Amino acid sequence: MAQDVLQQTYDAIVVGSGATGGWAAKRLSEAGLKVALLEAGRAVSAREFTEHVPSFQLKYRNHSPEVMRTRPIQRQCYACMEYNYEWFVNDLENPYSTPPDKPFTWQRLRILGGRSLVWGRQSYRLSDVDFKAASRDGYDVDWPFSYADLAPCYDLVERYVGITGAAEGNEMLPDGQFLPPMKMSCGEIRLRESIKKKFGRTLTIGRAAILTQLHNGRAPCHYCGPCERGCVTYSYFSSPFTTVKDALKTGKCTLITDAIVSHVEMDTNANKARGVSFVHRTTKETKQVRGRSVILCAQALESTRILLNSSTREYPKGLGNSSGLLGHYLMDHVVGGGASGTFQDLKILPNANPPHRPNGIYVVRYRNTPAEGKHPYFIRGYGFQGGSAPEFNMGAPGIGADYKKAVKLGTYDVSLGAFGESLANFDNYCEIDPKLTDAWGIPALRISMAHGKNEAALMRDAGITAAEMLEAAGANNIRLTTGVEMPGMAIHEVGTARMGNDPKKSVLNRFCQSHDVSNLLVTDGSCFVSSACQNPTLTMMAITVRACDHLVERFRRNEV
Amino acid sequence: MVADEKSPLQSSLIKRRDLIRAALFASAAAAFTPGMSFAQAISSGLTPAALGEDGSKFLSDPNWKAVFLNEHQNETLVALSDVIIPHTDTPGAKEALVNRYLDLLLSVQPAELQRQFVDALAFIDSESQKQFGRDFRSLATDDQVWLLTSWAYPRLPSSWMEREEKPDPGQKHFERLKALIAEAYYGSEIGQKELGWDREITRGPYEGCEHQIKDHT
Repeated sequence: MAQDVLQQTYDAIVVGSGATGGWAAKRLSEAGLKVALLEAGRAVSAREFTEHVPSFQLKYRNHSPEVMRTRPIQRQCYACMEYNYEWFVNDLENPYSTPPDKPFTWQRLRILGGRSLVWGRQSYRLSDVDFKAASRDGYDVDWPFSYADLAPCYDLVERYVGITGAAEGNEMLPDGQFLPPMKMSCGEIRLRESIKKKFGRTLTIGRAAILTQLHNGRAPCHYCGPCERGCVTYSYFSSPFTTVKDALKTGKCTLITDAIVSHVEMDTNANKARGVSFVHRTTKETKQVRGRSVILCAQALESTRILLNSSTREYPKGLGNSSGLLGHYLMDHVVGGGASGTFQDLKILPNANPPHRPNGIYVVRYRNTPAEGKHPYFIRGYGFQGGSAPEFNMGAPGIGADYKKAVKLGTYDVSLGAFGESLANFDNYCEIDPKLTDAWGIPALRISMAHGKNEAALMRDAGITAAEMLEAAGANNIRLTTGVEMPGMAIHEVGTARMGNDPKKSVLNRFCQSHDVSNLLVTDGSCFVSSACQNPTLTMMAITVRACDHLVERFRRNEV
Repeated sequence: MVADEKSPLQSSLIKRRDLIRAALFASAAAAFTPGMSFAQAISSGLTPAALGEDGSKFLSDPNWKAVFLNEHQNETLVALSDVIIPHTDTPGAKEALVNRYLDLLLSVQPAELQRQFVDALAFIDSESQKQFGRDFRSLATDDQVWLLTSWAYPRLPSSWMEREEKPDPGQKHFERLKALIAEAYYGSEIGQKELGWDREITRGPYEGCEHQIKDHT
C-alpha cells in the first residue's frame, strides 16, 4: 500500500465493501466526497469464479477435509463449499464464543464484496405493517421513519441493482421497480392457484437481484444455476462489479484491502470520530486512516464489535453507547418450519442441464395482517420461500437396471420453508469476550441469543399451514417440520445498534447517525429496529442510500 | 419456433450466448494455472477449483492404491457397486470408479462413519457366508442379486401376527452402502452423463410451465 494513501484526510471512511459499504462508497464519492473504502479481505476477480466447474472435478466433491478443518462453522451454510471456501473466514483465525446452551452460527466473508458474493439475492421491501408494527400489536417500538420515507430509496436501489419480480398489489409486500419476472414451473403454478382459491394467500415468483434483461451494462442471467460460486457475466448483484466499481470510477474513492478495522479513533475534545485504526491482514502492522466522518458497513455483528472495541474514557461501555443498548436486540429470522411433498401426477422428467432457474417462489405473509386481524397464539408473521420441480430420485428403492431407471424417472417435488420474524429482545445480545482475541489480536465477540416462545409458535404454525397449502394443491407424501433452527442460520443478523428518536432508547438516529458522536454512522443491518420477516439486504441498501444522502447534505451545509 | 426465423427474442439470445462464451473463454484462460498442488493452492488464498485444478485425475491414475480400504474391502465394494448400479446400456458404478472415490472420501471422514462403512461391508460378507459359504465378492452375480434384493425395498410389518417385527440389521447396512454408492456414481462424470448431462453451461431462459392454468388446478 502506498504510504500517501494513509497520509490523507478523507471526507468519509467506509468500513466494509459488501452490499451496504458498496452503496455508501458509490453514493458519497459520486456526490464529490473523498472516500476511503476499507475491506478486511483481499480483492476478488472474476477469474476465480467457479460456477461452471462440474462438481466431479472437485477432488472431494464438496467433502474437502480442508473445509471441514478450517471452516467448521462457515460450512454450516450451503454456500461455503470446496469451490469457494477461501472467500469465507477461517474459523480458526476468527473465533467468537457463545454460552454453552445458546449456540449461534456466524457466517462471514472477508473479501472484496463480502457476503454480496454469495448471498441468496432475494429482495423484498418492508411495509408500514413492519415499520409501525409496535403501534398495531404493542410489542416494542416503531421504526423512526415510515415506508413513504424509504420508498424513494427502494426505487433508486432497485433501478440500479435490477430486481426480477412480479407486482402483486399486496399491502404486506410492496411492489417495486421490477425487471421481467422469471417463469414458474407447473407445480408452482398449481400451488399458486390452489392457495389463492382456498386461502386467499399470495404466492409470487421470487423477487431476486438477478437480471432478466440487459441492465446497466450487465448481461442477463444465463441460467447456469449456482450464483454463490460467482458469475462471469455479473448477472446477479454483487458489490465489487457494480457499486464499488462505480465508486472507484469517480476517482474520488480509494480502496484499501486487507485492512481489518479494530476500532474507531476519537478526537476526544471535539467529541468526533477522526478516523479508524486497522491491522493489516498479512503484515499484521497497525495503521490509521484519518477522516471527517466514519461509516460502518461491516455487517451487524462486526460493526458492533468495532464500536464495543472503541471504548474511551467518555464512552467506557463502547463508542456511542451512552444508551447502554449497543449490542442488544440482536435478531436473526427464525427458520425451521415448513413442509414438503410430491406431485405424483405431474409426469415431467428431471433435467440435468440448464436452464437452472436461480430463484424460487415466495408466499407473502398472511398472519397478523390488517385484513386478517390478530392471531390468538403469536404476534408478527412469516413468509415462505420454496419451489417445485422434478428432481432425480437417488433414494428410489431397488437395485440394478430398475433402480437406474427409477432415478431418472424422478419425483416432482414441492417444498416451502418459512422465514419468521425474530422479535427484538434486550436479552439477545453480543459483547466483547474478555478472554478471546482473533488472529490479529483484536478482542472477539461473545454472542448470546436464543429464539423465544413467539418464534417457536411461528414455526409451529408455519409447518402446519405449509402442509395445509400443499394438501390443497393435491400434493402427496406431505411431511412437515415445526422446529426452530439455531440462531444465525438465516444469516439475516440485524438490530445491535438500533435506530430511534430517543437517545436514551436507541443507538442511532433515523439517519443512522450515532446519537453520541455526530460524524459516526452505522448503516448495515445493525440499525434495524425490528427484523420483519422479509430478507433484509434490499432494506439495508435503501437505508444506506438514505443515510449517505443525508450525510452529503450535512457536508454541504458544513455541519460535519 | 423455426430456427432461422430470427425473432427479436431469438437473435438477442444468440447474441447473449456469444457474449457469455467470450466471457467464459477470457476467464477460463486466465484462471487455468496448471501444475499447482493442492497444498500450494491452499496457501495462495484460492481454492483448487478456482485455480482450475481438475481434482478428479487421481481416479484414473494407473498406479492408484487405496488409502483407506484394504484389498478385500475394496474388492467387496467393487462387487457390491456393480450389482447395485450395473453396466446396462450405459456404464455402471464399476466404470465410474465409485470404489476409488469412496476410498478417498472415507479416508477423511470421522472415525465413526469409517467404522459404520467397514461394519456394513463385513455384515454383507457374513450374510454371504451364512447363505452361500463364500465371501460376497466371489459369489455368482445371480447369488449376489438374490442376497441384496431383500434389503433393497421398504419393509411392511407382519400382517399375520400381532407382534413387533425386529428390524433387519441388513437393511440399515445395505441402505448406508447403497446411498454412498449412488452418491459416488451420480456425482461422477459417468453418472452425470447417465442423467443426461451434456456439458452445456448455459441454455435459457427458463420457460417454466407451458400448460393452461386450468390443467393444473
